[in-house]
Amino acid sequence: MGEKIVEELRPFFDPKAVALIGATNKRGKVGNVIFENFKRNRENGSFRGKLYPVNPKLDEIEGYKVYHSVEELPDDTDLAVIAIPAKFVPATMRDIAGNGIKAVIIITGGFGELGEEGKRMEREIYEIAKANGIRVIGPNCVGIYAPDTGVDTVFLPDEKMDRPKSGPIAFVSQSGAFAAAMLDWAAGEGIGIGKMVSYGNKIDVDDADLMDYFIHDDGINVVTFYIEGVKDGRKFIEAAKRITRVKPVVALKAGRTEYGAKAASSHTGSLAGQDVIYDAVFKQTGIIRADDFEHMFDLAKAFARLKGKLPKGNRIGIITDGGGAGVMASDAVARFGLRMAELSEESRRFLKEHFPPHAVVGNPTDVVGDTDAERYRLAIEAFVNDPNVDAVVVIVLFQVPLLEDEKIIDILADYQERSGKPIVAVAMGGRKTEHYAKMLEERGVPVYPTPERGVRALAGLVRYAEYLRKA
Amino acid sequence: MKDEALKVVESVLAQGRTAMVEYEAKQVLRAYGLPVPNEKLAKTLDEALKYAEEIGYPVAMKLMSPQILHKSDAKVVLLNIKTPEELRKKWGEIHENARKYRPDAEILGVLIAPMLKPGREVIIGVTEDPQFGHALMFGLGGIFVEVLKDVTFRIIPINERDAEKMIREIKGYPILAGARGEEPADIDAIVELLMKVSELVDELKEYIKEMDLNPVFVYEKGGGAVVVDARIILKVPEEREREIGQSYREKCA
Repeated sequence: MGEKIVEELRPFFDPKAVALIGATNKRGKVGNVIFENFKRNRENGSFRGKLYPVNPKLDEIEGYKVYHSVEELPDDTDLAVIAIPAKFVPATMRDIAGNGIKAVIIITGGFGELGEEGKRMEREIYEIAKANGIRVIGPNCVGIYAPDTGVDTVFLPDEKMDRPKSGPIAFVSQSGAFAAAMLDWAAGEGIGIGKMVSYGNKIDVDDADLMDYFIHDDGINVVTFYIEGVKDGRKFIEAAKRITRVKPVVALKAGRTEYGAKAASSHTGSLAGQDVIYDAVFKQTGIIRADDFEHMFDLAKAFARLKGKLPKGNRIGIITDGGGAGVMASDAVARFGLRMAELSEESRRFLKEHFPPHAVVGNPTDVVGDTDAERYRLAIEAFVNDPNVDAVVVIVLFQVPLLEDEKIIDILADYQERSGKPIVAVAMGGRKTEHYAKMLEERGVPVYPTPERGVRALAGLVRYAEYLRKA
Repeated sequence: MKDEALKVVESVLAQGRTAMVEYEAKQVLRAYGLPVPNEKLAKTLDEALKYAEEIGYPVAMKLMSPQILHKSDAKVVLLNIKTPEELRKKWGEIHENARKYRPDAEILGVLIAPMLKPGREVIIGVTEDPQFGHALMFGLGGIFVEVLKDVTFRIIPINERDAEKMIREIKGYPILAGARGEEPADIDAIVELLMKVSELVDELKEYIKEMDLNPVFVYEKGGGAVVVDARIILKVPEEREREIGQSYREKCA
């Protein structure tokens, strides 16, 4: 099952030669932005394939030879990106079938989302693809962003939308606008995206296909989905069960409203909104459901940074240098269905022995405002070695006077690296704190701006670990 | 199992109906080994008296009519009938109530059932989602489902762990686990029920549209459970064909 899908989808992510149908030299046009993306990536070395612009009216764009038709394209073409008006797409698909290209991204909109004629064209395209073994992404999408291989069909110009660096997170989005906004945002946050796929009307390649592909993608260790609707529910469930055994999947499902119009004649029918059904599907398949955009990336970041390290249970230990933040974290532990760890006698003895009398030993352990990095280290040492603690939240208010910034960052990164228990950090504050948070992130520690968000992300890890233990 | 259940399904469809009466629904459940009371459908008063004798007084009477699906609204459930004399009297009364409620009601008979020892009430239901297929619902009965909507769903088929998780994740779980010094309920019996309903619906998914087992009485640990009332809504045959022919589905963006 798996290898076939990898072979079929490979040209989308790592093409030998891309035909850009509808390439143009007119600034701002979709066919121009995508051309510029590939050209730029060829120049910076990330795109190592060939680029074949196709346009019947042009002979050359910025030094690239332009092909006048699909028939003229060289034999090594293995991906076609279509950015021409909808009415010409079915005929172009037939040409593509004749040429032997097996992977097509249809950027063009104006299909099924507009009505009957569009749906008819989609069906026609789908039939051609099926009959010729062509896989299609789209139509009505922004396609693919894969920084490692320089594939970028996102038609938002570089000067208007930042591109994120590569990373272990895959992002799949039904909505193109959402995908583009997310890429821009991830770039700003320093979150690495290894592959982004926006599939729009998904007449062919769908969530299930992508899950099967990402199982085998070693560069990806967490897959995130923005889903509006699933077309083939059974296929989705089967694929989800396969991938969640191997790597975590986080989903944000839009449209939490009920499909109340469906007259239900049973009690059960009246209680079953679409949303509870999606909840059921996610629980059953081990997909971690995100409540919102922020939650989705909080979870993705935790999974990505911790590289498969998962808590063995739900007992959380909290270390803080501020009492209030510790209370907020403890509240969040209860709210997100976790438990406060009961520190062992040994840990308590160890900490009491080393701590000044005004520091609070317990859970939370408060190293208090006159702390230095060493006091944090002792607390972390006790917590990660305590058999009653499954995961640790370390709240660092970087503002306290005696705390050596570089040293605490080293300590956290070191324990994250060496300890078998996941550690998430919480750093609350302004610009200076953000600077330290970035440094921590770069050292592989997931950092959150509030205790709630840190604990909520950890709760997702706990839930996924529970699912794996029982699967 | 399936053949026996299908016979009931086909006969209901042949009568041009999609809503099974309680008696028919319970026959389908029984075919899959679900615990239903030892009940009998009496077409005449003589039969009713005979069955009541066999079951042993006190008994319950429930009038079965395809036109009367809300039996308590129509007052066609009469409980705790203690003697043959009382049964004779109530036989007339139950028929009169049915006629008052729906003069055109077609009466299939009166179900004579043993009076059941009350247990903790749960509801098990099935509905069909257009994308994911049949989903199984579980919750506590009565006010918990009516007002608090304290229910949880899984897509069918489920496995044992799904069943266990469903039971434990409803907010009312402590009531089953034994709150306030009560003995714990027979959780294993609920797991078995959920598994059997999942199996039944998975095998009959082309026929079944919706289902309610409400209430189900669950007894103390080791005491089992029993389906007190049940209804099954079938798909109309055309609906079934349309689904099978729908290989290419429209998708949204």
